[in-house]
Amino acid sequence: MISDIIAIIRDYWLLLLIGQYPNGPLGGLAATLILSVLAIAFAFPVSIALALARLSKSPFLNWPVTALVYFTRGVPLLMLILWGYFLVPLATGANVPSFLTMLVTLVVYQGAFLSEVVRGGVVALGHGQMEAARALGHSYLGAMRYVILPQALYNVIPSIISVFVSTIKDTTLGYVINVPDLTFAASQINNQLLTQPFQVFFILAAVYYVICWSLTRVAVATEGRITRKRAGTVPLQTAKSLKLAALTDQPS
Amino acid sequence: MIELKGVCKSYGLYEVLKGIDAEVARGEVVVICGPSGSGKSTLIRTVNRLEEIGSGSISCDGNNIHRPMPAKELNRLRSRIGFVFQSFNLFPHLSAIENIAMSPIRVKGVSRDAAYAKATQLLERVGLTEKANAYPGQLSGGQQQRVAIARALAMEPPVMLFDEPTSALDPEMVGEVLSVIKGLAADGMTMMCVTHEMGFARDVADRVWFIDQGQIVESAPPEEFFSRPQTTRAQRFLSELRH
Repeated sequence: MISDIIAIIRDYWLLLLIGQYPNGPLGGLAATLILSVLAIAFAFPVSIALALARLSKSPFLNWPVTALVYFTRGVPLLMLILWGYFLVPLATGANVPSFLTMLVTLVVYQGAFLSEVVRGGVVALGHGQMEAARALGHSYLGAMRYVILPQALYNVIPSIISVFVSTIKDTTLGYVINVPDLTFAASQINNQLLTQPFQVFFILAAVYYVICWSLTRVAVATEGRITRKRAGTVPLQTAKSLKLAALTDQPS
Repeated sequence: MIELKGVCKSYGLYEVLKGIDAEVARGEVVVICGPSGSGKSTLIRTVNRLEEIGSGSISCDGNNIHRPMPAKELNRLRSRIGFVFQSFNLFPHLSAIENIAMSPIRVKGVSRDAAYAKATQLLERVGLTEKANAYPGQLSGGQQQRVAIARALAMEPPVMLFDEPTSALDPEMVGEVLSVIKGLAADGMTMMCVTHEMGFARDVADRVWFIDQGQIVESAPPEEFFSRPQTTRAQRFLSELRH
């Protein structure tokens, strides 16, 4: 069993790592990571823009984004992917690469989910902070940028991480439209071996676990660093140890 | 300096302010007092347009605050009216000195160095030099409110408004905040202050406005107001305070 897994890794590590590249498109783990990183990197700013639009009093900003959020929340991601894959070329006549279709779909889908997380963080902060910023002369967007979002985003880090992690896991759905990612590579291997699906997909699961777990660790570390900075723990501890030293030192 | 003309405001059917006419002269310190729900906090919040008014006008330093105007203009006017909240509303993600220096940098475009130099001076003025790098969560209520005053002063406003600045404080911290405000009064700052601290009103105010049911019922110098209140409402309010 374990020897099977080791053998699979030994024989197919390059395929798992970069897919058919350089004889075909870049795939495997590299494609999964690139897709994940790009999806998260675009979805995050998109989500902030969507959240601000939903918080806006202007119906021109508010309504379309509210509709988008309700729509994406109500429709399975797989539907969106298939629609994007089949309908966009039909409607525009353009030949859109499946990687791009997958990326855009993920950004819209996760951006909409994330926007609700961000909006929740902003609403939970209450009026006082915005009022204080406005009273000092900040514009609405200035107050958002310097006062509200730094607090709201920090408060919702755990939920943001959940969305990021689920974004990574959702890249696996690219398999249905032939995005040559890690899942695609694993299923190619499975098709060649035929007899060892458990071993092949165990490797797949383990790799996804490691990626998602690493992201979680980075997030926890970041959160901890911000918390320590805002609590000013470092200078306080120094001060405390000095005080303790003063108490325990014997007069000479 | 501040001129209120026929200021009315209602929440739905409930009239909070029923035609306020009053004036605050340059350098004058006005203390606003009155029973809870009388509209005093609403009134002071209309002066920098944190609350909109239904009718009437409010001008501050010659500018009509409630006229229709571009958002930018309102931001500029607001930056020239210092406001101190009952609940401090310091920015918890910034240290004391960052709280003070941030708005001059971001709103007025003051250089970082100049803003921090000014913030250091202001911290000294409110007696918190050693707390420059402390975060709001590490400060007592009284210290937070003093930082909030310094933060408002950093914009160099010609007018300061205080909305019950000591009501959220433990009794032993009221004094330190009031003495900072007294210092400002001594420097000739034009101020409006909603407060229940009658001793402070007696010491510092040039004039006391007694508000009840959305109207200024009495407006008099403190010695006159406290010793010879003219209306029964003010008499009842003052006698209840003494209990």
